[in-house]
This record gives sequence, C-alpha cells and structure tokens, in this order.
Amino acid sequence: MTDWNAMTDEDFRREVHQFFESEYPEELRHLPHRPTFAEVEHWHRKLHAKGWVAPAWPAEYGGMGLSAAKLLIFYEEQQRWGVNRGRDMGVQMVGPLIIKFGTQTQKDYWLPRILSCEDIWCQGYSEPGAGSDLANLRTRAEIDGDDFVINGQKIWTTMAHDATHIFMLVRTDPDAPKKQQGISFILAPMDQPGVEVRTIRTLAGETEFCEVFFDGARTPRENLVGELNKGWTMAKALLSFERIFIGSPSLAQNALGQLESFARGRGAFNDPVFRDRFAQAALDVEDHAALYARYADQLKRGETLGADVSMLKIWVTECFQRITELMIEAAGPDGGTIGPLQVGNVSVDVLASFYKARPTTIYGGSNEIQRNILSKAVLGLPG
Amino acid sequence: MKQTEENTQDQEDLRLLRESARTLFDRAGGNDRARKLRDAGGRWSAGMITELAGAGVFGVAVPDENGGLGMGLAAAGVLAEEVGRVIAPEPIVATIGLTIGLLHRLCPDHGMLKKAIGGETVLATAWQERGPTGVAPGRSCRFAGGKLTGAKAWVSGAVGVEGYLVVAEGDDGAVLTYVEAGAAGLNVDGRRQADGSALGELSFSATPAELLAEGAAVEAALADAVSDTTALAAAELVGLSGRAFEIVLDYIKTREQFDKPIGAFQVIQHRATDLHVMQEVAQATVREALSWMDCAGTDAQARARLASRAKARAGVAAKKITRDAVQMHGAVGYTDEFDIGLFLNRALVLSAWLGDDTYHRRLWLDARDKEGAER
Repeated sequence: MTDWNAMTDEDFRREVHQFFESEYPEELRHLPHRPTFAEVEHWHRKLHAKGWVAPAWPAEYGGMGLSAAKLLIFYEEQQRWGVNRGRDMGVQMVGPLIIKFGTQTQKDYWLPRILSCEDIWCQGYSEPGAGSDLANLRTRAEIDGDDFVINGQKIWTTMAHDATHIFMLVRTDPDAPKKQQGISFILAPMDQPGVEVRTIRTLAGETEFCEVFFDGARTPRENLVGELNKGWTMAKALLSFERIFIGSPSLAQNALGQLESFARGRGAFNDPVFRDRFAQAALDVEDHAALYARYADQLKRGETLGADVSMLKIWVTECFQRITELMIEAAGPDGGTIGPLQVGNVSVDVLASFYKARPTTIYGGSNEIQRNILSKAVLGLPG
Repeated sequence: MKQTEENTQDQEDLRLLRESARTLFDRAGGNDRARKLRDAGGRWSAGMITELAGAGVFGVAVPDENGGLGMGLAAAGVLAEEVGRVIAPEPIVATIGLTIGLLHRLCPDHGMLKKAIGGETVLATAWQERGPTGVAPGRSCRFAGGKLTGAKAWVSGAVGVEGYLVVAEGDDGAVLTYVEAGAAGLNVDGRRQADGSALGELSFSATPAELLAEGAAVEAALADAVSDTTALAAAELVGLSGRAFEIVLDYIKTREQFDKPIGAFQVIQHRATDLHVMQEVAQATVREALSWMDCAGTDAQARARLASRAKARAGVAAKKITRDAVQMHGAVGYTDEFDIGLFLNRALVLSAWLGDDTYHRRLWLDARDKEGAER
C-alpha cells in the first residue's frame, strides 16, 4: 500500500497527473454534462483497479487515505485535466458518513458496494420548501415494525433517474422544539413501488436534476445511519472540507483558458475594451488563487478551516460567471448558438460554459446565504 | 522540510516587524497625527523620520552589505501596510522604493545612502515628466556640463526635503544626478493633493547638479526601483483599505436607525461582506506579489508584471472600500469630522500615483502577452 502522504507535494501531483493523462479517455475530458454511469463505467473500472475511487477515505476502507493537503492536489489535478467526477455521491457523501457514524455491519455491507459502483447513489436533501432553509424539510419517515415508511418529496436530486439508492435527510420527530432537531439520516433503495422519479429539464436543456416522490416507500430500520434525530449535526460535520473544495480556482481557470483561446481566434484582443475586461477577469482568477493558497496552507499545517473560507466560493463562482459572459460577448452574433463554435483549430462550447456557471452561485449554499454566514460568523454583525 | 522551517522563520520575522511598526505608529497618535499635520499645512514630521530610521525602516530592503537589514520587499511591504493603516504623511514608500532603491543599486558607496537610511537626510526622487496629455513617454530634461535644464513632475515628498535625485538625459543616455533644495535655477511648485500632501513640479534652468551614476545601469535601476515602489504603494493601499474597513465595520455595528444597528440590515451585511472579501483578496494578492518579486531576482519583466498586478488589485479594492465606507456612514461620512474621509482622500492620491488600476491592468496584460510570445 502506497503512503501517498509521505510523498512530496510535487511528486504526488506528478503521479496523479500522469495517471490522468495516460489513462483518462480523451472523449470524456471536460464533459459539458453530467454523465450516466454507463457513459463513464470503463473509466470507473480503471480507477477502481488502481484503488483511486475514494481519495479521501482511510486506506482500511479501500480509500487512498489522503491528507487534506494531498486531497486538494488530487482534486486540482482532476479538474485541470477535465476528469469527470463520475457518479461520486456515494464516495463523497454517503461513504464518509457511514465511516464516521455507521455500525460495523453497515461499513462492511455498503462501503465495498460504493467503491465498485454496484450501488449508485443520489442525494435527497433539498425539498420544494427546503432549499437554502434546508432544516425546513418535511419528508417524513415513520417507524412501522422493522421498517421506516417514507412520505414526501425531494427535489434537485442530481441524477436520481440513474441511481439505485438514495441517502436522505428525513423528519423523524415532527414535534422537536427546533426544526434542526428531529431530522435523521437514512438510506433507501430506489427500485420500489413507493418511489417515483421525474426528471427536470434545465435551462441548458439537460435532465440531470430530478424530483423524487415518496408515497409509502419503505426501508429497513437498520438503514438508519447514526442516531435517530441526529441527522442534521452529522450532515453538517461533513461540510468543512467541502467548503474549500467548492471555492477552488480550477473551474474559473479552465473557463479563462477557453475564453482566451476563443477570443484570440476571434480577434477580440485587438479591442482595448475587451482587453481591459479580459485583464480584469484574468486578475480576478489569479488573485483568487493567492487567497486560496492561504487556506490551502492552513490545511497543510493541519489547521481546521473556519467559516471565512466561504469567501473563496463567493469570489470564484461569480468570477466564473463573468468569464463565461465574456465568452458570449466574444462570440458576437453566435452568442446564442447551441453546440461547439469552431475558431481556427479550437472549438469552444460557449453556451455550455455559460450554463455550467449559472448554478455555481446557487448550489452548496447560495452566495446570498454565504454572505449571511460571513457577515455573522466572521464580521460579527448583529441580527 | 528545511524550506518550511525557513518560511516559518520568515513569517515570524515579518510578524514581529509588523507589531513593532504598529506600536510605533499608534504611540505617535495613529491617524489623528495625519489629521493634525494636514491641518498644520501638509508637512510631515522630521521627528517621525528619525524614529522610523532608528527602527531600521528605511534600510529594510537594502542588502546587508550596503548597510540595510536585507529583509527584502516582503518586509518593506509589511511596513508600507502599517504606513497605510495610519495614513502617515511622511514619504516613506517613496524613500524606501525610489530614493534608497536608486542609491543602493547605483551608488552604494556614496555617503548619501547611509544618511538616507539613517534618516539624517530626506530626499525626493524626480523621474517622470509631464507631456501634453499626461506622462511624457520620453525624457527631455537634460544634464550637461554639470547643469540640469528642463522639468520634472509628480515628485512625491517634494516639499520640505533637503534635495532631489533627478533622472535626466545625459550625453550617453540616462543619468542620475543630485540637486540641493536651494540650488540656483531650481523652482519647486507643490501641487496640493486631496490628502493635503503635495506633489512637486520641478523646473531647472542651468541648475548645478552632482552626477551620481550614468549608463545603462541607470535605466535598469530605475525600472526596478519603480516596480518596487509601485508594489509598495499597493501594500500601503492594502493597509489603508484594511483600516478603512475596520472603521466602517465598527460604525455599522454601533450606528442605530429604526431601533437597531444598521449592520443588522441584510443589505448592509452583504455590502460589508463584499468589501471584506475584496480586502482579503487584495491583501493576499499584494503579499504574494511582493514575496514573488523577492524570488524573481533580476527578471525585471516579471517584477514589473507582479508590481502591476499588485497595484491594479490594491487600487480597485481601496477605491471601492473607501467609497462604499463613506456611503455606509451616511451623511456624516461626507464630513471632515469623521476619519473615514481621510482614508478616501488618501486612497485617491495613492491610486493615481504611479498609475491607477486601469493603467496597471494594461501593463499587466501587455507583459503577459509579451512573455507568452517569448515562450
């Protein structure tokens, strides 16, 4: 077993990059949509054989056991090479929760199936009345003999139509004094009569989001992870690393690279107005990286990140959007055209980039919610 | 591992430097001192110069062998940030970056360097010239037969100094010369700035001057000194905007309207958050640029590009933060009674000096294009 953490950052980065460069299928690079499992299955097999499906999991559970600092490098290289994350909800969300809060039986049963993608997971958190205010969720799970019986509705469930299982936050005690209490974390199979999935068509014309309706669906009581009514605290405990990852510069850096080659091909760099706007965007990306480096250094020193790390997400997602907006401007009358635009030997899908940038300011806690958090937790403002 | 230990040691040195500079400025009266000096006619304090020199401030980036502390630009940046926090009116950045920057590169053995580091003499550096539409692209101020003829503009700290370093055109290219403040044929016109300071317009008519250096080395040293000063001005802006943000944050926590602190309103909270993010990005950028400049060695092009990046970001942040801070103060922000206006006015002057953010973005992108083409 390789001890990745013992390698220097440079060596590790090189090793990760080389693997992606030599093994990742060219046709899947910078995929503009979320793939079904079938589309990425052959890549997943390679990753699985290499033992790289779960970089963050401890080695004893079949992960790479990476430290936070190495993990950051792994993800940076992944994004830089345009490697699709595949169907990683199981690895990213369920696995860590089971590892942290699950029983031995749950670990033995679920973890290998996550790694092999025998089970494909989707995340049942948001509801029509519980978006930014997630704790407002209403989907009920009531104990009935050896089962939970689930009634309610989840929404924005990414790729639910291509999932075998759903992990969800459900209300198990509607009478709890605070709405954050009385929420539990349970696992449920999708393939049963009480579960209905409807896809939602997005602005981009994709169908990656779904609504999931539960009408008397059942899951065994042993599929409760952690304690009953403690789901909220557990789900929050996972978010610490997520917060720096979601603010990483890679998406904006990739988009800037695309903008630059596209705009050069279109001759936009002869226009002084465009030049200044490009310089602003490019410096926004470069200067964000300076702040990002500060947090990455904190991780390297083994420190825990505070709420202030949300700054990264606010800055980089809004910057990503401005870059894709500049692409559309540089496209001129082609700015509304679906599909790749060819300029010289470069081909850039301007609209796909634009659409990809839109939800980044909404998901993972909308930027407005992030501002609320920063203003209270970091600036100490009242109310 | 060694690398990390050294970095940690460097960080610790910088922290101590920051602390001692902050204590020194705070003891002297913080930004109240700036207000008093402004009201007294826009001069600076000779006593403060002596005190700063005693703390080693002016030689911080000068190599050990030339009588400095050899701590590099990153350390000079720490001091510049502290200067910005109290909007100190002394020409500290201009002295470190331009005057001492030129002297230690071009004539390290001249007695003037030691005196400048020791605070015994304060000189202003004149290198830009005014053209019909702004900065003149070339140099027309001439040095011949020991005499200067022509004019210089935008000389920081020009009023009240003992003499001037003047970059002029000699028989074989650029020369660095020294002119005493009272020299014959020298006229100094101080143009009053928003913060109460003055930028000097100098004119020479057969003014006697001492030749300090000549040849290609002068152009190279000037380019480096200007890059340093630009980046240090950025650090001064970062200190300034950081303090301005603290002031406005404090204000919105205490000022009440509609029976609650205005900082309890979401619109104010979000604006404050945006300013905070802007400030953190600016600080990280400028500190990174300064330490990379220390690593860039003799690569003048890279140093210039980094300096432009720093000044562009710091300018954007300081303008936005000081202007929004006035807005969030409401009507009292528009009065001279509140301190926030001092920061706005100083930001105006520092942003314009050595080029604003638009100008530096242009230089940055040109340099990036050029380096891309060379690669």
